[in-house]
Amino acid sequence: MPPPRIIVSSLARPCHACKSSRISTPRFLPLLFHRTASHASQGRANKAAPGPGKRLGAKKGALELVVPGNIIFRQRGTHWFPGENCAMGRDHTIFAKEKGYVTYYRDPELHPKRKYIGVVFQRGMKLPVPRNAPRRRRLGLVGRERELTTMAGVEVPEGEGLEVGGITEAQGTLRQQTKEARSKVPDMKRLELRPGYQYRESNYSIGRTAERAGVKTRQLKKGGRVLHNLKRKAKREAAERRAMGKKQKRQRKGGSKGGNI
Amino acid sequence: MALPTYTIRPALRCLRKAYYLGPGPLSSSHRFTTTALRQDEAIAESTIDASTPAPPPAPPSQYLDPEMVSTPRQERKLFKTLGLQPIGSRRRRAALKGSDNVPFEQMPYQCFQEARKVLQEDREIKLGQIAEMRRRIARWQNTPTAECGGEVAKKGKLLRMHRHLEELKVLADINDPMIKKRFEDGMGDMNRPIYRYLADKKWRAYKRRILMQRISQMYVVPDMFQHLDPTAEVSLAFGRRNIQPGEFVDSRISEKPARLKIQPFDKGERLVTVAVMDADVPDEERDAFTSRCHFLAVNIPVSPTSTSVPFSKLSKESHIVLPWLPPYAQKGAPYHRLGVFVLQQPGEGDQAKMDVVGLQESMARKRDRFRVRGFAQNHALHPIGVHLFRSKWDEGTDAVVTRAGIEGFNIEYARKKPEKLPYKKKDGERYR
Repeated sequence: MPPPRIIVSSLARPCHACKSSRISTPRFLPLLFHRTASHASQGRANKAAPGPGKRLGAKKGALELVVPGNIIFRQRGTHWFPGENCAMGRDHTIFAKEKGYVTYYRDPELHPKRKYIGVVFQRGMKLPVPRNAPRRRRLGLVGRERELTTMAGVEVPEGEGLEVGGITEAQGTLRQQTKEARSKVPDMKRLELRPGYQYRESNYSIGRTAERAGVKTRQLKKGGRVLHNLKRKAKREAAERRAMGKKQKRQRKGGSKGGNI
Repeated sequence: MALPTYTIRPALRCLRKAYYLGPGPLSSSHRFTTTALRQDEAIAESTIDASTPAPPPAPPSQYLDPEMVSTPRQERKLFKTLGLQPIGSRRRRAALKGSDNVPFEQMPYQCFQEARKVLQEDREIKLGQIAEMRRRIARWQNTPTAECGGEVAKKGKLLRMHRHLEELKVLADINDPMIKKRFEDGMGDMNRPIYRYLADKKWRAYKRRILMQRISQMYVVPDMFQHLDPTAEVSLAFGRRNIQPGEFVDSRISEKPARLKIQPFDKGERLVTVAVMDADVPDEERDAFTSRCHFLAVNIPVSPTSTSVPFSKLSKESHIVLPWLPPYAQKGAPYHRLGVFVLQQPGEGDQAKMDVVGLQESMARKRDRFRVRGFAQNHALHPIGVHLFRSKWDEGTDAVVTRAGIEGFNIEYARKKPEKLPYKKKDGERYR
């Protein structure tokens, strides 16, 4: 640090050598007078200005009941670390992950210097848990009955394991079969992955369902009376349908025109 | 990697031809190529004029030799036509393809032969030490206990001597290149200490580390066992599917009993107990997790050479205490960890045998809440091998469970609504 430069007039330090000159020079302060500050006049130097308190510290004491999400400790930096059933937030806040009682403890086996905050399920429990003891875990789930939705109840006949597209016992999917085995699988059982992620039979196969079921239809004589009547009926109905369609269209058109007038 | 002859660049081919005119692999002329050629290929090549383009190569006589196939295509062909698996690594096979198969004794390198001599001398020394050690052990065994300084001192001394003998046996063979080759080809005889030593080293180098990592990551220690230090390699498979430690296994795959391969690395036959335990069974009443036994079999003989333990082939009368129960997880429950434990039974020979009938009776109703830790403690069993896999609810589980006739499965789990702290009424005075 440079020594303070205080430029004072010669008046400040009278000496014998310049006595005569003192008499001759007029008495006034020199124009250049400068005194540097040795103490700050502003800022926090004169008065601590701490600002608002940040409300740090313990929010829950030892053995106090907490539920998941409760803040246990607010801090700057990690004075405390999250132990069992606790976690640390973005600003090092320790909060509870389980319902239980707060415990402040050390775990020298885990880390010799750290202090931990944990949550135990029951009041008497101690932390840290011995290294070789099983963890104490909470299920935290509720069960409700449900229907078994798969084909579990459906009896799968012996040797016909190809219905499901996924894995079936021993036989595998259709694609895993040899060419020969594949050809023996009937059409309706060839369930393949189709658009829309469905395992179903092909449209071709569906179209032939009636044929497979042996549904008999009446064989009509070509050029016969019955067939002639059926065709006429169909024609008439088609014509009627067309006429209806036209009528409706016309009506709709007329309606809109009327609205304009 | 050695290239096939026809892919070597023309210039290099000329160079090779220029000096390789010796009678064959037994010549003492030195060759300075980095890649050696097989003898038959080299001779065939020397007849080709360098100026004319090489004709397409005829397939080599040993085209599908399992020792020498070096392309994936050839490997596939080998498997398809001859049903053989290639031997050793592809890199090794390729190197073998391009080498003259000269025995080590006839290698024309002086320095190499001198080095071999040193190794052989060392082996002789080691063999002498082994003989000496055996003599000393025999002498020590015959000495009366009083002269040895007590029972404990004698036992300790003998134990140390035996350990040293085993070390010497390994050291005698460790520098033998043929041993190394045979081990790498998977032809090692596990009855010999050297192969057991090499196999153990290989297992510890990678597989065991993975296993230990999974054990600690998935809390097998301490949830299922207080401490584990596996000394035998255990691999698990369902049918043809090999399972890595900690892998998720589809319930349809794990429906059938598993197959274990237990590879101990110390000599002798021992009896083991195999237990499969699920450590994540939801227990809604206690709002906690409990455990369940999925398989328990005892008195299974295992040795370094007989390693396969298929659960489905174990006898119901003399081995199986609790038959295989397919692993299953209810919908919505967190994944289940299933630990496979191989526990060595104390004692030797018939002394080690456990009472199967008695166990079957006592364990019949103890599937639920079975803990392998307590079971091992009660029967003084020592864990020598571990494996684990995971299982969660999937679309096949319902069918698997129905087929197995498991009751009380039709439950779906959902998250419990978190409780709130009871509302504390503030002190009335503050609001007056």
